[in-house]
Amino acid sequence: MNKFKYYFLSALFVSFGVFAQEQEPEQPERKPGHTNQNKFKQLYDEFSTPNMFRAGSGAPGPAYYQQQADYKMDIVLDDDKARLSGYETITYTNNSPDELKYLWVQLDQNMRARDSKTPLINTSGFSGVQRASTFTSSYLKYRFDGGFIIEEVSDINGRALPHMINRTMMRVELPAPMQTGEKFSFNIKWWYNINDHVKDGGRSGYEYFEENDNRIYVIAQFFPRMAVYSDVEGWQNSQFWGRDEFALTFGDYEVNITVPADHILDGTGRLTNRKEVFSKDMMKRYAKAKKSFDEPVLIVTQEEAEATEKKKSSDTKTWKLHAENVRDFGFATSRKFIWDMMAVKLENKNVMAVSLYSKEGNPLWEDWSTKTVASTLISYSRMTFDYPYHKAISVHAPMGMEYPMICFNFGRPDKEGNYSDRTKYGMMGVIIHEVGHNFFPMIINSDERQWTWMDEGLNTFVQYIAQGDFGKLYPAALSEGHDIFPSRRGPAKNIVPYMGGNQDFIAPIMTKGLNTYQFGNNAYGKPATALNILRETIMGPELFDYAFKEYARRWKFKHPTPEDFFRTMEDASAMDLDWFWRGWFYTTDYVDIGLKEVKRYYVVPATKERIEATAKRFNRTVEELPPLVYMVEEGSEEFTEDMRTGSPLENAPTLKEYLMDNFTSEERKEIKEPKYFYSVTFEKPGGLVMPLIVEYTYADGTKEKITYPAQIWRLNDNEVSKAIASDKEIVGIIIDPDLETADIDTSNNSWPKEEQESLFDAFKNKIKD
Amino acid sequence: MKAFKFVLLILLLPLLAYTTAHKFYVTVTQIEFIIEKQTVQIISRIFIDDFEALIRQRYDENITLDTSKEEILIDIYIERYLKEKIKIKINDSIKNIVFIGKEYEDDIVYCYLEIENIQSINSFEITSQILFDLFDEQQNIIKTNINSKTKSFILIPQNYKRVLNFN
Repeated sequence: MNKFKYYFLSALFVSFGVFAQEQEPEQPERKPGHTNQNKFKQLYDEFSTPNMFRAGSGAPGPAYYQQQADYKMDIVLDDDKARLSGYETITYTNNSPDELKYLWVQLDQNMRARDSKTPLINTSGFSGVQRASTFTSSYLKYRFDGGFIIEEVSDINGRALPHMINRTMMRVELPAPMQTGEKFSFNIKWWYNINDHVKDGGRSGYEYFEENDNRIYVIAQFFPRMAVYSDVEGWQNSQFWGRDEFALTFGDYEVNITVPADHILDGTGRLTNRKEVFSKDMMKRYAKAKKSFDEPVLIVTQEEAEATEKKKSSDTKTWKLHAENVRDFGFATSRKFIWDMMAVKLENKNVMAVSLYSKEGNPLWEDWSTKTVASTLISYSRMTFDYPYHKAISVHAPMGMEYPMICFNFGRPDKEGNYSDRTKYGMMGVIIHEVGHNFFPMIINSDERQWTWMDEGLNTFVQYIAQGDFGKLYPAALSEGHDIFPSRRGPAKNIVPYMGGNQDFIAPIMTKGLNTYQFGNNAYGKPATALNILRETIMGPELFDYAFKEYARRWKFKHPTPEDFFRTMEDASAMDLDWFWRGWFYTTDYVDIGLKEVKRYYVVPATKERIEATAKRFNRTVEELPPLVYMVEEGSEEFTEDMRTGSPLENAPTLKEYLMDNFTSEERKEIKEPKYFYSVTFEKPGGLVMPLIVEYTYADGTKEKITYPAQIWRLNDNEVSKAIASDKEIVGIIIDPDLETADIDTSNNSWPKEEQESLFDAFKNKIKD
Repeated sequence: MKAFKFVLLILLLPLLAYTTAHKFYVTVTQIEFIIEKQTVQIISRIFIDDFEALIRQRYDENITLDTSKEEILIDIYIERYLKEKIKIKINDSIKNIVFIGKEYEDDIVYCYLEIENIQSINSFEITSQILFDLFDEQQNIIKTNINSKTKSFILIPQNYKRVLNFN
């Protein structure tokens, strides 16, 4: 309630400052001119010009198009050799206005081929001591024999199509150029050796279990996939080096997968031959699961899975899956699988939450995997749109990787079934994250190869919200003493060590993932935190959520670019956020805002000397001066102790006269009389502009928080001042009291300057007690 | 074939870039000389997962960090390890580093170390080989604040020592 009601008074107060400036000595040497370096400069230079494909609003334009790639595939798993082979027919539809002379197909497995260039771009050196395993693999030349063997590329009549393989991409020559609207079908026959993803790494592969000589296969990037052709990139031309993920075209899939008859399999799409692969018991349990909204129903129990894994069937079984409008396909298969499912109610539909895990994952997985999936689908659906697919599967595998409707997640108890909080929260966190990827990028299909942050950053941001929701929906999932889910990425203060770190090893978010230094912080942590700050502190959840949802809705089943996101967030909120995107996404600047000084002023009588001095200063006669209020800074030469007494009205008869002349007695009753006057100067050593959040503490113990919008920095990027007239004495000022801006140095955030106890001393004192 | 189950770690590096796990093997050590207290305060931030893997491989397979169990034993291991892997010379003489303790926050363990009775620093030499015995791609970021000068650098297995002169 300490609003500055004395507008006229503060106006005078400000002009006092102007006077002071005019007194400064003459101009220094003339500086050279400059271009617009303002932090609030529009992003026109960075953004491409809107066009018929992508509108200035951030929505798809009237001529927006995207290609379609439909697949029919017969896949066979050879469990003895750990080898996967397939025959696929791709039907490609050219919806672009362009004529296409050739097609590009992605061969991601080739990153693991012996002639892969990936090892060659990683720098290396010798140290005094090396691990024998590294030494052997690096210098004794053993390398896993991976990569696609392409046995055939042919048209639908079986005639060979000329093709050329450039590492992880294959160009297929078309018999005749494809015109707009035309379709072309062709076949590829292939096989590859499946990698052990635990030993050799990778986003898919198998995990080997010595007990009973078994494997859990989590299979993805397993077939030659169409590259994206788009209005922004033409043909995708960025190779798969191993880090930057995927750019993929939407399409429909019919996939028949033949595996050992005792395997349990699930993957992207609807199972179309359930009766052929399910036992009668499984069918009954499945019917029950579809109606169970509170607890998962086991389709395959642990007891059954343990019995199955002890034997090996020599027969095979074919699982048939059909998926519509997906950008990729993945599956998991093993004879070790336990399988459970639960129904999830979304706003306008029901879907299934599914888990596949081996006994090694229990008891953690049977307790929490499917419920975590369910909670995630509810949260993400609320933040974007109802989950459009019919199921989401979480598979137990020591990695964290996402595909449409299916993801592979870590988190394993020890042999006795015990697990730490870290294992538990890690498992829940990774499931929420990977299931969340169904939205970003599986449905809101950004180009991961170009922009890691667009799926990882946005997803990590929603993950933070979903983790909070999960803890509320399932308090039993939280450990003793925890009342919220502990989130690593999202809270502003957690990004401080990264953003305040060595600038030599930080890249702007708007950098291709491959070329960033601290990948996790760069593409996950910082964008997630930035969006969280945007939501909580700058826009407020209501404005933010509407705009975020609009982005999701506009780009659902389409291919957005970073600008489409930035533009939509502004378009749907009436907030020009160019300064925010520029600072947080295009630079490595950090937040550091501080308090420079606080000066107190007193209203003093308009003595003859003061009036005459002022008149002289402005070259006016005493009569020409408007009514003036005179103030003196505490501690200045002119200041004397007796100035502390008396109220402003008593000390400044001019003010009293002015009030009497200009306001009715009724109006005068409404006017408050502030007694305390301060000039507060804020400084900004950090490059990022941010709202200035200030908490004033008054002598009576009350506090007031005022947020000055970021635009306060528009004319001076280094320091700004505020004149404050208050009817209560200010005894303390703190900037960003709730640590919501990621200010990297809070030692300059308070007045009077608080001697902050260092982290070190705080710890030392703590352990003394 | 079992004999050939070797791993090409360098190839693996980018493949380890999974979607949520921290992919970078980084520790951050902050070193501050507090002249009024004549002390050098050191805080090392190490990922719990990495440190746990290290302790299990090096000392005791049954250790799990951050469970409020066996913390005294864990302290012994941590102290032994850090004192072996962090060496500090001040004004050309090797200094005794006192292990104050550790605490966990989220997925990081904060280790507190101190060197006492330091009147002045003319030269400061630090060796950090934390986790180099576990990860070839380990990087140890060192941030110093000595004599009101801040410096930041990275120590890696091929370059694990740095000398700072303040004359």
